[in-house]
Amino acid sequence: MKKNLILLILLSQPIISELVLEITKGSDNPYTVALINFKGSKSATNEIKNIVKNDLDRTGEFKILENNKLLSIPTNEENINYSDFKILGIDYILMGSVVEEDRSNISATYKVFDVKKESQIRSSKVFGVPNKLRQLSHYISDGVYEEITGLKGIASTRLLYVKEESSKGSSLFKLIVADADGANEQILLKSTEPIISPSWSPDSKQVAYVSFETGMAKVFTQNIASGKREIVLENKYQISSPSWSPNGKFLSLTLYQDGNAEIYILNLKNKNLTRLTNHYSIDTESSWSPNGSKIMFTSGRSGSPQLYEINLRQSNAKPKRITFEGNYNAKGSYLPSGEGVIFVHRKNSNFQIALKYFNENFVRPLTNSQLDESPSISPNGNVIVYAISENGIGLLAGVTLSGARFRLPTKIGEVREPSWSGFLR
Amino acid sequence: MFNIQMTYNKNLFNLFVFIFIISSCSSMNVTEEVVYDGGISTVEASIQEDYPLEYETKAIFTNATVYFEFDKFNLNNKSLQTLKSAVAAMKNNPSIKITISGHADERGTREYNLALGQRRAEAVRDYFAVNGINSNRIIVKSFGEERPLSSGSDESSYAKNRRAEIN
Repeated sequence: MKKNLILLILLSQPIISELVLEITKGSDNPYTVALINFKGSKSATNEIKNIVKNDLDRTGEFKILENNKLLSIPTNEENINYSDFKILGIDYILMGSVVEEDRSNISATYKVFDVKKESQIRSSKVFGVPNKLRQLSHYISDGVYEEITGLKGIASTRLLYVKEESSKGSSLFKLIVADADGANEQILLKSTEPIISPSWSPDSKQVAYVSFETGMAKVFTQNIASGKREIVLENKYQISSPSWSPNGKFLSLTLYQDGNAEIYILNLKNKNLTRLTNHYSIDTESSWSPNGSKIMFTSGRSGSPQLYEINLRQSNAKPKRITFEGNYNAKGSYLPSGEGVIFVHRKNSNFQIALKYFNENFVRPLTNSQLDESPSISPNGNVIVYAISENGIGLLAGVTLSGARFRLPTKIGEVREPSWSGFLR
Repeated sequence: MFNIQMTYNKNLFNLFVFIFIISSCSSMNVTEEVVYDGGISTVEASIQEDYPLEYETKAIFTNATVYFEFDKFNLNNKSLQTLKSAVAAMKNNPSIKITISGHADERGTREYNLALGQRRAEAVRDYFAVNGINSNRIIVKSFGEERPLSSGSDESSYAKNRRAEIN
């Protein structure tokens, strides 16, 4: 009895103010999907329907029609009147049912039908926990998304970011993990000193970040579930800018022990360090290519910050410059396909998020406000989340490669430094 | 060195289940998945400055600050005047140690600004070094753009934030 009571108290920790995702621009040519109310208990099916609708809406690639917009409502796959859907220009039908197996198990079955082909194209079953319908719903959204677009969905992935809350002249910094739609915020770390550069391990079970809690920038790793954390290197110098190798065995870091920012690779198992750069100007913001064969970084060696990459498979490889347009190109990361990079690009006096494909010799600006920074790409390569400043307040925004846009405003504090997890599903 | 206080704020079950079964049914495949549910723990960082300064040090060097241009770390004439008196104070008080913290304005990326702040602090340290102050009396570090003096997004605020503080 006493044990149960303690558990209750822990579970009921107040939920901090969540981000609310707003779509500011959708895709020009969305898929139209009829979302038929699921069968099952009203409370569960309503919640699932709303979350799935929001998930698909915010991809910017879908237009969702609910029961009240349809000409006929099929009760099962046998009585779908396809012509009623064709008339409305509907491409796909999603229907399903929810069964509460017992108090701790709930399952949802969902089916997707292709209106043009007049046939079922997917049938799936997801098992979850009754009070965690949000995750179960995200799985449904991701299954539907994958079936229709051919790309894995990201509704069930997570975002990591830093929130700063100020009151009476002092600040509290929180490292937060939330669902990809900004809901379900949970705090990983609280500190009165700044936290920057959070990044996920490739299996999304750990995070690395820079904390100033010792009075100086230091890199820590932390296990999300257990809270166990450690400082990656003990010395008296600054350490910053962690990035995990795709196989999870190494962290690339910026070390200041040579009297200047240089990039090193740390073997997490034996703590061996390998120096990667050797130049009197700034070298920092390293990130790994998807197959781990290259490291990209920002260097001031040309007189202004520019992106360079080093081939790790070649001995004594010289850094190769990869940006030439403009006098500020920094904080690059590779697309998951490896076909290009996203980065912060200065155009006139504005800092924007830009994309450059390796087979093109020009920069594609993706955003157009003044102080955009910290771009991070979703694991399916389709969405970029980044930090903006609006009336002096930091918040997160996003853009899809198909051109849809969204924002993630917060009610309290300022949000920045977003980092997208890998696939959790 | 670090006191870690942990609060388990979500579920205590740390479940990582991933099942992906393809079972053939009459017309097509059915995918089955189990929702992954990893727990989350909150950690509180306890703050500890690793090199506390003596009272005497602070009294002599209060508000010694030099300023820089955007993306630059060279010292201008005004900075040199400020540093001249700091060097004299260091020579007159051979026991004191100082910390030089470099800072940047909010424009550009945080990590690049951290490195830039470090270059600014090092430029000041180098000035002390060429004027005969031993580097082991000096701690150099950067806060990048994380500790602005002025919160505005305009050139006059930016100019105040691009600085190196000696204390």
